[in-house]
Amino acid sequence: MGEILHGIFINPFIEIAGAPDLFVQVLWEGFVSGTLYALIALGFVLIFKASGVFNFAQGIMVVFGALSLVGLFAAGVPAWLALILCIGIMFGLAWGVERVVLRNLVNQEPIILFMATIGLNYFLIGFGEFIFGGEPKTMITSEIGLPTGSFDFEVLGGLVSLQQIDVSAAVIAGLLVAGLAVFFNKTRIGRALRAVADDHQAAMSVGITLQQIWVIVWFAAGIVALTTGIMWGARSDVSFALSIVALKALPVLILGGFTSVPGAIVGGLIIGISEKLAEFYWGPLVGGSIESWFPYFLALIFLWFRPQGLFGERIIERV
Amino acid sequence: MATETAQAAGEDTFPKLLLRNAVKFADRPAIREKDLGIWQTWTWSQVLDEVRAFAVGLSALGIKAGDKVAIVGDNRPRLYWTMCAAQSLGAVPIPVYQDSVAEEMKFVLEHAGATCAVVENQEQVDKILEIRESYKAIKTIVYDEDRGLKNYNVKGLYAFEDVQAKGRAALSDGAEAIWHEQIARGQPADTAIILYTSGTTGKPKGVVLTMENTLWAARVANRFDNLTENEETIAYLPMAWVGDHIFSYAQSYECGYCVNCPESPETVVDDRREIGTTYAFAPPRVYENLITLTMVRMEDAARIKRKMFDYFLALANRVGEKILNGEPVGVTDRLLYALGDFLVYAPIKNRFGLSKVRVGYTAGEAIGPEIFRFYRSLGINLKQLYGQTEAAVYITNQPDGEIYADTVGAPLEGIEVKVDDSGEVLYRSPGVFKEYYKNAKATRETKTKDGWVHSGDAGFIDDRGHLKIIDRAKDVGHLKDGTLFPPKYIENKLKFFPNIKEAVAIGDGRDYVACMVNIDLTAVGSWAERNNVVYASYQELAAHPDVYKMVEGHVAEVNRELAAEERVAGAQIQRFLVLHKELDADDGEITRTAKVRRSFVEERYKPLIDALFNRRKSSQHIKTEVTFEDGRKGAIEGDVEIRDMTPMPVAGTNRIAAE
Amino acid sequence: MSALETFVDAADETLLAVEGVTLSFGGVQAIKDVSFDIKKGEIRAIIGPNGAGKTSMLNVINGFYHPQKGKITFKGNTRTDMRPHVAATQGISRTFQNVALFRGMSTLDNIMTGRTLKMTTNLFWHLFRFGPAEQEELEHREFVERIIDFLEIQHIRKTPVGRLPYGLQKRVELGRALAAQPDLLLLDEPMAGMNLEEKEDMSRFVIDVNDQFGTTIALIEHDMGVVMDLSNRVVVLDHGEKIADGTPDEVKSNQDVIDAYLGVAH
Repeated sequence: MGEILHGIFINPFIEIAGAPDLFVQVLWEGFVSGTLYALIALGFVLIFKASGVFNFAQGIMVVFGALSLVGLFAAGVPAWLALILCIGIMFGLAWGVERVVLRNLVNQEPIILFMATIGLNYFLIGFGEFIFGGEPKTMITSEIGLPTGSFDFEVLGGLVSLQQIDVSAAVIAGLLVAGLAVFFNKTRIGRALRAVADDHQAAMSVGITLQQIWVIVWFAAGIVALTTGIMWGARSDVSFALSIVALKALPVLILGGFTSVPGAIVGGLIIGISEKLAEFYWGPLVGGSIESWFPYFLALIFLWFRPQGLFGERIIERV
Repeated sequence: MATETAQAAGEDTFPKLLLRNAVKFADRPAIREKDLGIWQTWTWSQVLDEVRAFAVGLSALGIKAGDKVAIVGDNRPRLYWTMCAAQSLGAVPIPVYQDSVAEEMKFVLEHAGATCAVVENQEQVDKILEIRESYKAIKTIVYDEDRGLKNYNVKGLYAFEDVQAKGRAALSDGAEAIWHEQIARGQPADTAIILYTSGTTGKPKGVVLTMENTLWAARVANRFDNLTENEETIAYLPMAWVGDHIFSYAQSYECGYCVNCPESPETVVDDRREIGTTYAFAPPRVYENLITLTMVRMEDAARIKRKMFDYFLALANRVGEKILNGEPVGVTDRLLYALGDFLVYAPIKNRFGLSKVRVGYTAGEAIGPEIFRFYRSLGINLKQLYGQTEAAVYITNQPDGEIYADTVGAPLEGIEVKVDDSGEVLYRSPGVFKEYYKNAKATRETKTKDGWVHSGDAGFIDDRGHLKIIDRAKDVGHLKDGTLFPPKYIENKLKFFPNIKEAVAIGDGRDYVACMVNIDLTAVGSWAERNNVVYASYQELAAHPDVYKMVEGHVAEVNRELAAEERVAGAQIQRFLVLHKELDADDGEITRTAKVRRSFVEERYKPLIDALFNRRKSSQHIKTEVTFEDGRKGAIEGDVEIRDMTPMPVAGTNRIAAE
Repeated sequence: MSALETFVDAADETLLAVEGVTLSFGGVQAIKDVSFDIKKGEIRAIIGPNGAGKTSMLNVINGFYHPQKGKITFKGNTRTDMRPHVAATQGISRTFQNVALFRGMSTLDNIMTGRTLKMTTNLFWHLFRFGPAEQEELEHREFVERIIDFLEIQHIRKTPVGRLPYGLQKRVELGRALAAQPDLLLLDEPMAGMNLEEKEDMSRFVIDVNDQFGTTIALIEHDMGVVMDLSNRVVVLDHGEKIADGTPDEVKSNQDVIDAYLGVAH
């Protein structure tokens, strides 16, 4: 018993103090995966805010985006053109989803819409396998101008190594989030998006067309998914297994709240960093790979204290 | 001072100063107004252009020397221009409190004999038209804002720009030379303005101030604080108040600084922040409100933030004033104060819009010493001055480095102050008014043959040469046993608590002191929300047992403070009640400048006061008539609880002797 | 100088005609064969006891509900069915019974959304707020500032509307509806839940809007004093049927109306 307590509360901190460079390395790893979790969660939040739909297919959209890029390149399309075409594909997808799925199901129960996105998920898996095949592929990282290699630093008496692709992932994610923030707060479309998120009926009465807004939102979520797919694909492989990783967005959403963009970002980083730390320092205690379930565990504990999420609106009931 | 008062030729009236400024400060901003969310600026040369066109237009409408021009509205550039335009024709501007009801306004217009009114908007036009039904002398009405007035078909009603168009047309026909001649004829002894005092008792009196009076005051004040054309001020207090007239008109014309008119009365704090005023002037109430808002916000803040706030405020309270006054302070405290400035003081100052203030004044009423110290401890150079309409404001000011919270400063250069045997303060200066308009009797009662003016305030000059005002001369009273009873002193102590908005202490000729309190709906309402206190109306909240308990705590605190000062220890509050309605200017309970009309209130709430002095009564039923904004009447009625207090033991026996 | 007199001799042109409209949800008939018209430039009140079908009527006019029978003619175009944004395009704006503002957005942004249909620049530019989009945004901002000035809400320009007291929220909602420069303004209980002072302010704004912009207004209101003061003509609904239509005085003395309000069984 004493040994277990020792293993939980004392040993990890001795290790951290003993090898701070290692700690920094783990922190960085966590930060990078946190960034990508945050991006996936962001895709969920965008769609949930604007249309109240929990988009089960967000994960497969990530894979689909990455696959399209690799697939087009493999078919002989130049990398830059493939990238532009992929953006077009994401738009087509958004437009198609609005036309085929959302438009006919408007005003239905949220659960019906949720089921519809599950359908969409399996359609995209099937369609993707049919076109691109099921085997894992390699991301065309250098072809689209992303750096490879690593930066190495002397930190606290040890060597810390940052993959350049990870650094660019963090930078691009930051730019994407900043861009979205400007878009939401400073443009007319952004204002309309926020309006729709706040009150559908009122938005319609001032002449905002929901259909148009939905296409834009799904498109924005598609761009976020494509970016995530490229970055994630560059770190591992592009395969349908990736969509499982997307489910990590669930604890992120619990942590950050389903309607909060800052929540998605902060939540993503918390989950990313804490799962890597847990895996590295506490994992050996239970024989490893706690990475896969620890985020859910964390989210559950969190739910006890703040059911509305980190930045979610506090629900005050007045008697 | 003698050389200063002998004014340079061509600078002895405001129209002449305008001509000077249009050359000297031609492209510098003279006045701004926020409109449609954007600050519009007029330079001095543009102001000259506007004033000239309007003056010549008025002249074309028949306004001539000696005519009285009423000005009614919120602070707006065009209304300030009207003042100068009228003066340039030898006419006299009469600013009127814009929220007076038609009846009050009629008295002023009729008494002054106004023949022309320049007003802000439809609301004021309607009032003037109503007045005109019985007071027919008003021939010309000019309005600034045309909203709602398009369909009016009334004789003698003009839009401001139409009058200016008439003027511009006449100017091209050679009227300019005539206008300049009219200005040149202006003399220092001419009447510059007539200001009607709101008066806590009786009908308003018209205080006649000459060009020399107001210009002298402007000059003295500008020199005293070394003001230049670089100052920025905000004009938001009623134009009919002497403070605003001297501050936003006379002083600005004298040294060329820029006056900013807010977008609406509700946006003043934001507008002040945007402009970054450097010279500020406000009655204590404004400073009190800012504190109340801050305290309320802090109580809603996270605990850690509140802890930090409290800590640094305590630090500021300890060392802030010393630092501002240049007194020695330890290095650690200085460093902590700098940190506090970064974390707490600067954000607060920024919220108040006081970040850039070089000099801020408070006047009009005694400010609570705690409130005064609060601002000074944050590093804001807030000073008190003592002034009156009859003095063209300035009597005493606190000089930099000689700030004592309990005095209102020393007489400015050129002003003599003395205290007569009854304890009343008298003063004499070149700013002293000419007379009360058409009221020789009142003039004789107030102003002696050799120019001394009875202030009506009781006070004394301390050994530092500073004037200390205790109360209105007629308000300082005594309990039956002869104990001194200064009501304002007690009330101000109560009013420092954010929860208490107004207090009325009663004790003259009584056995003990009792008090009626108004709670502050913003502060107490927010407290109620946090503490799950449910209430439907002001009345219900005021009568809530928890609210009573809270007020009881405040009263006990005041009693503790009173007990510590031997001279007033006998004036501790023995019984109090929380009033069931807010004291309201519409009901005549407070003046338009928010001073309590004591005798009226005592009369109106006589049953409550009787009960306060009847120890057997612990509650009293009362029905009060109230007036809504539109003039309709209603009534509020209910039982008001009365609480007994146990007086604190008097601390220290012989403090006065020891001094 | 009341607003009413100026419109007695206003053009007698019909802006909106409702003919034989019937609306039912499942088996429940909310509106039964109701016809009335709204003349250009007037203030038209729709009154009736709770459940009379007033709000349903507004929802039909503004396209939220689609009547089973009957037709609606607006500015000469007859239609039986349309969507809310089409109604908005044709010049119908509205406010809601329970304030439907965008709570997280500022007063300014809320009113800006009212300009949506007046914005013509290609959406592409708006993605980046460049070029013509920037210019257009500024022009609309100026228009919106005039509304803010008109409604005297400068002090809450930047405040998220969710934090405003109810009376001010109602005013912002009116501002948003006005921003579309509507030909017909539908107000669903603009004064519900307000105190006397707020009601007077709101009445003044309604009259001023009608007076200054010549906007035709249809309003639902419970406060009879307000209705009698504001409106040129009143239509009375009860249990989905029209029971009276005329000037406030005519309606006031109508026996059916008195019965309906006193709850006499039919």
